[in-house]
Amino acid sequence: MKRVFAMARKEVYHILRDRRSLGVAILMPLAMVLVFGFAIDMELKHLPVAFLDQDHSPASRALIRNMTSSGFIVDAARLRTREEIGAGFRSSRFRAAVIIPRHFARRLDEDETSPVQILIDGADGTTAATVDNYLNTVLLQFNRELVNSGAAATLAASAIPVDPRLRIDFNPELKSAYFVVPGLVAVVLMMICALLTSIALAREKETGTLEQVLTTPVTPLQVIVGKLLPYVGLGAIDASLVLAVGRLVFGVPMHGSWWVLAAYSLVYIMIALSLGLLISALAGSQRNAMMFALVATYLPSLILSGFIFELRGMPLPLRMIGEIIPATHYIRIVHGILLKGEFWFGRDLAIMLVLLLAFTGAATRRFRATLE
Amino acid sequence: MRALQTLVRKEFRQIFRDPGMLRIIFAVPLVQLLVFSYAANTDLHNVPVSALDQDQTVASRRLVEAFFHCDVFVPGPIAHDPRELKELLANESARVALWIPKGFTKDLAEGRTPQVGITVDGQNSSVAGRASGYAQVIVARETQRMLRERGFEPETASGGVARVTGITRFFYNPQLESRFFMVPGILVLLITVISSLLTGMAVVREKEIGTLEQLLVSPLRPFELVVGKTIPFVVVSFFEFCFAGVVAVLWFHLPLEGSIPLLALSGMAYLLVTLGVGLLASTLSQTQQQAMLTVWFFLVFGILMSGFFYPVENMPRWAQWISAADPVRYIMDIVRGIFLKGSGFLDLWRDLAILTGMGLFVFGSAAQRFQKRLS
Repeated sequence: MKRVFAMARKEVYHILRDRRSLGVAILMPLAMVLVFGFAIDMELKHLPVAFLDQDHSPASRALIRNMTSSGFIVDAARLRTREEIGAGFRSSRFRAAVIIPRHFARRLDEDETSPVQILIDGADGTTAATVDNYLNTVLLQFNRELVNSGAAATLAASAIPVDPRLRIDFNPELKSAYFVVPGLVAVVLMMICALLTSIALAREKETGTLEQVLTTPVTPLQVIVGKLLPYVGLGAIDASLVLAVGRLVFGVPMHGSWWVLAAYSLVYIMIALSLGLLISALAGSQRNAMMFALVATYLPSLILSGFIFELRGMPLPLRMIGEIIPATHYIRIVHGILLKGEFWFGRDLAIMLVLLLAFTGAATRRFRATLE
Repeated sequence: MRALQTLVRKEFRQIFRDPGMLRIIFAVPLVQLLVFSYAANTDLHNVPVSALDQDQTVASRRLVEAFFHCDVFVPGPIAHDPRELKELLANESARVALWIPKGFTKDLAEGRTPQVGITVDGQNSSVAGRASGYAQVIVARETQRMLRERGFEPETASGGVARVTGITRFFYNPQLESRFFMVPGILVLLITVISSLLTGMAVVREKEIGTLEQLLVSPLRPFELVVGKTIPFVVVSFFEFCFAGVVAVLWFHLPLEGSIPLLALSGMAYLLVTLGVGLLASTLSQTQQQAMLTVWFFLVFGILMSGFFYPVENMPRWAQWISAADPVRYIMDIVRGIFLKGSGFLDLWRDLAILTGMGLFVFGSAAQRFQKRLS
């Protein structure tokens, strides 16, 4: 045990001596929460839209005012010709163009339907659909105002379209921080515990110091445990920081118990460590360890875990891969504890334990093989 | 010059000798491109809806059915009382809960607005926002239709009243497939990650294992050393860019509307930036771990602020200012524009000029620092 702590102390010195790496390891998760929380608002707004008003009537100006008044879209440009639209799309100056044709107002007066053309840059399909939705809603409102101001206003008084009562559970204001904080905790723990440890171990191999250590009376197991311990601490500090910022700055709720969260996190951290160990055993150099770790741990935790992209939207094979990624289950657990106050996650825990056994088994086998 | 050639040849040999490295260069990007292109799908699909139908009439069943006419929603388990509906939402069997209380048909028959409850799981805020939008539209449209069938005029179809109609046309991607938007972005990510990380670590590696001093006593001038160490990564990264681009076009049928030379030119300008970042990190670092973390810092924020996931216009003003200094953002715009919209030099010259300027600056200052460290 004393030897383990000696190894751990040596590794702590290593970490502390390298101020910049330590700074990056601690500041980056923090900065990520802040950026995600402040800068990345998943609700779209301020989208630039151009207007081509060929009518120049009070009605057409009123329509443009209605469209830009909510702040969802911004009046990015007033066009003179249709040719400018293509150029604007190609240089990404605006995302949509609204053309109000000549005689727009006259047609309204003559009780005809009056068409308005909406051209949207569809390259970003998700945003395009939202813009289309919004503009059509404005048209609907515009019509409603016309109806209300006109003589025929009383016509449909009894039949207002349904106003479904909408409720959003678990995250009523749709704050992205609620969603991002648990995901970031998972990614950060994976990064520190798997990526950094695999590189730390690979460095000893690459520079030949692992053999020097092994000639001392320390056993390989003690070396490994000793080297891993400080990273557990670093990971825990990072995860706590992310959670603290989430709670204090963005008001992410905690409906469950911190102890339950800590217990599940421990399992997850052990999985990450065993993955780091496995990768360092497989990779010959730090560079390869980093690349393997990046591809096998970091990116899947980010992309296939349901953190950024919904698993349900993916093809079946990817969904199956997603199900065996530890971060998927951990994120579910953290969500459940923070937002719903649950405490028992039998299925997720079972899968995580199986993964833990598989990775540690493979890692120790590989490691023993390389050492002997 | 001879010495430079030898160095480049040595670097190439070193890269291709290592089977792990070959895997990094060929297999890893291919797997990433395929997996991420399928995964990075922001279209809404298969969102399970659970309904609690307390009205149990033809009309209420029709409203439930209306959810499954589009491919956004799929039927989830059916609830029998409000408590069960809540549970289904809590254990994620359903993302959207629809509650049609008793009296739905009666309201319709009397021309009253029926009350319908929609509850959405808000955990994933972006999905929740869009799913609730869809659900509201479906309910509104279907109930309006049913009102009309019963002889009541909902206001949007108000007979003789003048009304403005919107005629929408989507350019470039009429099906609004999010994949077409994501794949060019993933191309950019791949070369960003590979080129900056590999360069950063390669130079420090020589420092760490002590071979840099051996290189210094060779007849190479510092300038040649910089060029010689980066040329192989230029070649490898550029090859990667082309390779991934070909896969994207052939496999994902990504349209390539614009000019290939322009794409290549922009790629080169961008590589100046990423290689410069790698080189700069290596002059600042003593160990490969340090170099990696330094580059990583650039990668994480470069990618987050680039508009890869979320539109830049959507960010607050201060974040947009930061984003204006982010090279990843410009190449992202350029590559997406060339692939999807057929943007030409005249459309993109400003982005391209900024990118080239950044590249010259970053690479220049990195090379200078590197030389100074050496001499």
